[in-house]
Amino acid sequence: MTGKEWALITFTILAQMSVGAFVVLGIVHFFAARKAGDEQADRLSDMALLAIGPVLVLGLLASFGHLGNPVNAPKAISNLASSWLSREIFSSVTFAVLGAAFALMQWRKIATPALRNAIAWLAALVGLFLVFSMSQVYMLQTQPAWDTFATPVQFFATTFLLGSLAIGSAFVANYAYLKGKDPDCAEAQCSLVRVALKWIALASIVILGVEMISLPLQLSLLASSPSAVAQASAALLFSQFAGLFAVRLVLVFLGAGLLALFVYRYASQPGSESLMGTLAYSAFALVLFSEVVGRFLFYATHLRIGL
Amino acid sequence: MAKQLGFYFDSSACTGCKACAIACKDRSSLPVGTNWRHITDYGGGGWVPDPNHPDLLIANNIYVYSLSTSCMHCEDPACVNVCPTTAMYKRDDGIVLVDASKCIGCRYCEWACPYGAPQFSEEKGVMTKCDFCQDLQAQGLDPACVDACPMRALEFGELDELRAKYGDVQAVDPLPDPNITHPSFVMTPHKNSQPVGSGNGKILTVSGKV
Repeated sequence: MTGKEWALITFTILAQMSVGAFVVLGIVHFFAARKAGDEQADRLSDMALLAIGPVLVLGLLASFGHLGNPVNAPKAISNLASSWLSREIFSSVTFAVLGAAFALMQWRKIATPALRNAIAWLAALVGLFLVFSMSQVYMLQTQPAWDTFATPVQFFATTFLLGSLAIGSAFVANYAYLKGKDPDCAEAQCSLVRVALKWIALASIVILGVEMISLPLQLSLLASSPSAVAQASAALLFSQFAGLFAVRLVLVFLGAGLLALFVYRYASQPGSESLMGTLAYSAFALVLFSEVVGRFLFYATHLRIGL
Repeated sequence: MAKQLGFYFDSSACTGCKACAIACKDRSSLPVGTNWRHITDYGGGGWVPDPNHPDLLIANNIYVYSLSTSCMHCEDPACVNVCPTTAMYKRDDGIVLVDASKCIGCRYCEWACPYGAPQFSEEKGVMTKCDFCQDLQAQGLDPACVDACPMRALEFGELDELRAKYGDVQAVDPLPDPNITHPSFVMTPHKNSQPVGSGNGKILTVSGKV
């Protein structure tokens, strides 16, 4: 573990959050449009869409922080044939370009909705491939703690958990903004936001379940491995890093479990939007912190086999 | 031209003196913390029952042996496979080299190589590694490590010839499973050497690491 791994923590968390937010926003927009029409659906999601790009760009900038020789950075896509790291960089840049193109077209309503939709689909698929590539980067035969099913599962869990909760928070912020500007227009938005938050809360509880199943499975896999290096990696979580590991588990449980349950409850009660909003912000903050700690532990506990 | 150069190492002769590692450091002017060749001391054992008095632990089977390793110039090099820039490459004669003008210093090869061969240069911001003393070899000379060994425990040459001469043992504990990268390496094990992955002993010291 070196200081430079903070660059990787920032990059992987922010890039995964952007992909998750983009996909979740697409799904919510699809259902919102069916329920309340395109105009209301756009009003719900356009601001959130514009927030995704800067998050991704911030992540990409952070990734430069772990390079010893950033001047050569463009060369990092030269080995698409065999390097998952090349594929990761290539797909993150492609996702950024497609996502930005779609956001601009959607914001300014350029071209036909069908064409915009096609670009959004393409961006989403490249984004999902990016998260898959990220997981493959770490699945090295020489790194037993990373080379398990849990790496892709956890990366996708982080993607959709942070993506959902970030979008939930963006909806709440957008709703408050719209309400301040024009109380009448906010009426139709109000029910859309509540329904969206209900589903987001539900999704985050389900993803929490996935994390809570995959984590102990991975740990038992490592602990029962014949490789001493694998066992040593698992042991680190219960000795040197036990405190942080506990913090990570408690926070994700509080944010994605308990608070999400309250979000779900208050989202079902018209009139409690401001409480629902506070809960949604808090859930996002707790889960973001927990995922950062989790990613820190991911980098802090890997041990390489051999010499 | 050779089709795959490799190293031969005689663990039964090695005394762990580290002359090879020092010669390597000297020839390439490597800074403190950068070591292209390492000597790993591995040992184990303990008290055992005496054959004449099985209830008394007065005999022991304590052992220690040394391994001198550098880049293995693998036939299937993990560093070359994962390098995003193609800075890490394999030459026609099998030597694995790093082209500093392409390297971004992401250190991904360091995670992938099970021999600790790619070494990051803080000063240059790029990876460095054993280049098999290609400059010396071009003049018909031996690599610095090979010439420095007072026990004549190191040799180099065409891998096929080394295998014909010394057999095909590629690893003992604590070296990684040779199936991962297929190292261009042949060795004569020490009499007390432990099988790969057995974990019977433990790494006692690694030169250059505190």
